[in-house]
Amino acid sequence: MANFFPKWSNQLPWKLAVMGAVVGAILVLGITYYFTPKYTRVGYQPTQPVPFSHVIHVQQLGMDCRYCHTFVEVASHSNIPSTQSCMGCHTQIKATSPKLEAVRAAWNGGAGDGPPVNWVRIHRVPDYTYFNHAVHVNRGVSCFSCHGAVNGMQVVYQHEPQSMAWCLDCHRAPENFLRPPGEIYNMDWKPESAQAQLDLGRKFKEEWNVNPPVTCGGCHR
Amino acid sequence: MKRDLNHPPLPDKPTLWRSLSELEKSPGFEQVLLREFPRGADVYQDSGLSKRDFMKLMGASIALAGVGGMAGCRRPEAYLVPFTKGAEWTIPGKFLYYATSMPLREGAMPLVATTVDGRPTKLEGNPLHPASTGATDAFSQASVLDLYDPQRSKQILENGQPTTPEAFAAFVADLAAKKPGGIAILAERKNSPTRERMRGLLEASYPGLLWSEFEPLGASQQRKAIAACFAEGVRLVPKFERADVVLALDSDFLSTSDYGTAYAAGFYTRRNPDQKGAPMNRLYVVENHYTPTGGIADHRLRAKADVIGEVARRLAVRVAAKSSSASLAAVLGACPTADVALDDAWIDACADDLAKNAGRSIITVGVQQPPWVQALVFSINEALGNHGTTILAAETGARPAASIVDLAKAIGAGQVQTLIILGGNPAYNAPADLDFASLLGKVPVVVRLGLFEDETSRLSRWSLPAAHYLETWGDVRAFDGTYSSIQPMVLPLWGGMSELDLCSMLLGQPVSEGPQLVQQTFAALTGATLNPPVVPPLEVPPFAQENANVQWNTFLRDGFLADSAFPLVRPAFNPSGAASLFASATPVKADAIELVFLQSSSVDDGRYACNSWLLETPDFETKVTWDNVALVSPATAKALGIRFNNYSPIYEVPLAFNKLTSDENLHTDTDFDIVADIVEISAGGKSIRAAALVAPGHADGSVSIALGYGRKGVSALLDGVGFDAYPLRESTSPRFRSGVEVKPTGETYALARTQEAKSMHGRDLVREGTLARYAEDPKFPQTMGMDGHIPPNLSLYTNPTLTSKEQWGMAIDLNTCTGCNACVVACQAENNVPVVGKDQVRKNREMAWIRIDRYFAGDPEDPEMLAQAIMCQHCENAPCETVCPVNATVHSEDGLNLMAYNRCIGTRYCANNCPWKVRRFNFFDYNQRPLEELYWGPLAKKGMADSLKMSKNPNVTVRMRGVMEKCTFCIQRIEEAKISRLVEAGPRNSEEFPIKEFKVACQQACPSNSIVFGDIKKEGSRVSRLQKSDRGYTMFKYVNASPRVTYLARIKNPNPAMPRADRVGMANGDPHGSHGSSHSTPGSAEPHKEGAHH
Repeated sequence: MANFFPKWSNQLPWKLAVMGAVVGAILVLGITYYFTPKYTRVGYQPTQPVPFSHVIHVQQLGMDCRYCHTFVEVASHSNIPSTQSCMGCHTQIKATSPKLEAVRAAWNGGAGDGPPVNWVRIHRVPDYTYFNHAVHVNRGVSCFSCHGAVNGMQVVYQHEPQSMAWCLDCHRAPENFLRPPGEIYNMDWKPESAQAQLDLGRKFKEEWNVNPPVTCGGCHR
Repeated sequence: MKRDLNHPPLPDKPTLWRSLSELEKSPGFEQVLLREFPRGADVYQDSGLSKRDFMKLMGASIALAGVGGMAGCRRPEAYLVPFTKGAEWTIPGKFLYYATSMPLREGAMPLVATTVDGRPTKLEGNPLHPASTGATDAFSQASVLDLYDPQRSKQILENGQPTTPEAFAAFVADLAAKKPGGIAILAERKNSPTRERMRGLLEASYPGLLWSEFEPLGASQQRKAIAACFAEGVRLVPKFERADVVLALDSDFLSTSDYGTAYAAGFYTRRNPDQKGAPMNRLYVVENHYTPTGGIADHRLRAKADVIGEVARRLAVRVAAKSSSASLAAVLGACPTADVALDDAWIDACADDLAKNAGRSIITVGVQQPPWVQALVFSINEALGNHGTTILAAETGARPAASIVDLAKAIGAGQVQTLIILGGNPAYNAPADLDFASLLGKVPVVVRLGLFEDETSRLSRWSLPAAHYLETWGDVRAFDGTYSSIQPMVLPLWGGMSELDLCSMLLGQPVSEGPQLVQQTFAALTGATLNPPVVPPLEVPPFAQENANVQWNTFLRDGFLADSAFPLVRPAFNPSGAASLFASATPVKADAIELVFLQSSSVDDGRYACNSWLLETPDFETKVTWDNVALVSPATAKALGIRFNNYSPIYEVPLAFNKLTSDENLHTDTDFDIVADIVEISAGGKSIRAAALVAPGHADGSVSIALGYGRKGVSALLDGVGFDAYPLRESTSPRFRSGVEVKPTGETYALARTQEAKSMHGRDLVREGTLARYAEDPKFPQTMGMDGHIPPNLSLYTNPTLTSKEQWGMAIDLNTCTGCNACVVACQAENNVPVVGKDQVRKNREMAWIRIDRYFAGDPEDPEMLAQAIMCQHCENAPCETVCPVNATVHSEDGLNLMAYNRCIGTRYCANNCPWKVRRFNFFDYNQRPLEELYWGPLAKKGMADSLKMSKNPNVTVRMRGVMEKCTFCIQRIEEAKISRLVEAGPRNSEEFPIKEFKVACQQACPSNSIVFGDIKKEGSRVSRLQKSDRGYTMFKYVNASPRVTYLARIKNPNPAMPRADRVGMANGDPHGSHGSSHSTPGSAEPHKEGAHH
């Protein structure tokens, strides 16, 4: 009786096993790298309707974050400034710049009834997640920790993945990020060393009773 | 060692039962009971597609979708659109609160509206207002949905064709210029001083203008009686906090929205058995059907609505004998008598108690009872010396208006050339004897201002969209007369105009865009001259109180003008005036069947017929959603041949809500469902049809039906929902119609009830006792049934770590919970709870996070009714948490049972394991898909109407299909409070900053303060005190789930002299027998193993 299977088929099982392992490993690694917010979100830098530069406003002119993002200390949202805020200066400065065309159109000579400026949203947590700016900035978390060095961004991009795991990194160990209250809006502040940050953070955590929620209900309602 | 925890044996006839069929223990009922969802709930009958077929189809679809590639991996681009100009006080992401009021027919509901970016999302009671002290009801909670209803009238129609506002303006300008005669106005009743002022101006400028007012459920009968017995323009104000004994004659005074909230504070403070210094009051109720007020009564007498007058007369005879009052004897001399069989022992004992408490008692009577009955009751109160002590009188100064009968006469005489209808829907709800719809045809020009395009607007030449009260400036007097503001929260969404705007136009004045009209009234009222409105200062400096603008701003901020209540007067009682009303009394037909017209607990008089929240809110007694039913007593049902254990093959109520099919293809021996017989009720040559339901505790020889249903051609959604009872209602007797004929038609009707399929098998869920028992054994609620001998806890589980300083919990006082549904609707508004439709409710898929369980106890003909609000109990050893395979439901350190929607994969194990059955599953995308296309899957239209999106609370996730949900204890409010504390603390120790007081939605809405929420670990907090109360018990204690919701047992205060007094407060069985009917020791006979019911 002839052999049903040719001789090379003896090698087939281990070849398949190795192939499977390699393909599996590639899939796992690929998904881990390409399908997580670290890859999909970090670096997202859409073109905005107005070429607003944080470098000019913050780094060169020295404006505080809160000049425009007025309600960050009291509300859950850090608001995008109203056209009125822009026009407070830009009726005087660069009043005819073509780059500000969209802002002037919304302002419509003071009537404020033009088409509003549609800024493209960059940082976005899911609908079932409720993030509150006020509680973070009032309790020692800097803008820098979640948004990166915005003062150096010509065009804003997403600097951190802002995934749940990333949130929990800080909620579980806030001492790595807590800052002196005066340095919250100072994007250039750096701890002297990792150890100095840790010492400072532990002190604040102890003194202020910082105890960030790690149960679902802290963010998901 | 394995321990057997045996379920208490079920008594043959459970003392606590929920429906007649349960009591009867019929096999059909057992079938329905044991299935969580009815048989066939997984089959879509139109196509016969079973769940298995569906899975095959979906598998194929997914495979095909995979071929299509990976489109849509990127998140769609989203935009951030800031204001161009900052809006005053608006902070993105923060709520703004404004005081306003909802106008009601006899007063107003003072409210605080929560607005988000300029749109109101939630209404709460105004705690500062003296007329309500923060109480609300289901109607006011749901009224915000009417604002956003996409079916609202949106454009001006002339003869049914859309036209321009200019065309109408030209028409009115012509009227205003010529001021012709023959103008009549028909308005809803409203206590608005500004509208009253406009009325005066209109009457002055239009010759012979007829101003008439009509309310189907108004108090015109009572006003007639008061005018005859006291004086015109007087309102009686009962002070329940002063009354030791209260008798309500056909008067649901605790839940009727106009009065309920005004009476709540006074009544419920005296309903507390633990209050020191003020003895608990005693409530007697005589009524024909169960009302929430009847449910908490100590003694209740069933009586037909048309013999209430005779009950009052016999009461008066006894009181007159005791009190030797000359005026009462004089009145009685003229009073007609009726020879009907009544429980005289009951009436006499009740009268004795009233006489004993003369000057400390109140007798109230339903406002729609005939004037002579009202007059008789006033006479008794007068004889008892209650007037001036427990019942005060306030002078409203309201000018009387013509009635709809006067208007009909004028139209009939051809005197009306132009009829202007301000709100209301007379073509649908006017008394049938007027035949108002055909009268409208006799008026050359009818102008109708209404929220919806309905029966009346179709018969009008001009149909104008009305502005909702949340879109207009206005003013109103609350029940006690306090002058209250109505502020617009948003500009009219669809260009509606207000009554005041239309009146302005008729006067030839320009329509004011701001509050000028109200300011003029305000200025006249306060004697202040208002400057043109200025930007209101944020803080009112005390030295500037003189300033009129400050006064105006204070009025807007508080929502009312302080000390502006009606002046109290002491009008003399006029016995001959009372006696003069007796001539109008119609003789009682003792053995004829009467039809009683009720205010619907869902749609009022029909005005909320488009409000899906209310339509799906179960009636407090019958637990019927989406329909009204004719209620009959068991004995009358038997006599009339109405079946009450009526099992039929499952009816499908497909797609559209109420289109009834009689598809019997599914008939098998086990496919049972409960349906109702349709009866035909006829009188005077007219007849209506209605589904009849047997109601325990209903008076014999009486049929009750709620008004407001059975609308035709209003919208596809509502066509044929329920049954219209208006065709049998006449102007002479708005409350009841004697001598109707009722006969079954042989047809049946499928009802969607939320009650039957979730029975709790006669365990001691609601506990009650009498005041005497409470004094003798204060801890009796904690030792009832098995609770007295639960072995020590041997749990294998370790409790979750409850490390937080705050521990949230709730206490619900069953003594004052009437089951009024205010909390149910408040929860729906706060937590974005979707409506599922009648078809889905029939499959037990309703989504309400709070339900009110209602039990009957005792004699099936004349039982006690008990209500119990049930929501997630936030068990410390939550059974749901241990069975979730994906940790979607977990415990927080502050004691909340959390639900992470984004983790939930929809196994529904948690719902199966919940002893309270409070978890709700989104079988469909109720928020995104039209309810009539739920089964179309991806083929159904997707998306929510823009206006409905605006009504959602932005702080609560809108859940999608396949996700479990349940009460969260309003976690968004808890988190908000915690965050505010941390923000306030800033870089300081947060422990030193206490959490500010806040209320959860159901607690805020509750008119009787029965729901108390808070930190149970905080010493002295109200909730911690109540949880430790002797009356406090937790449900299913032997399951050892350690719920965080404590119920406080109901205590009744029976009068031992009353007949059947020994049966009051015995819902859990006789305490002197054993420990109660559900008594059991482990291992006793007939054990029901725990778990057999899950």
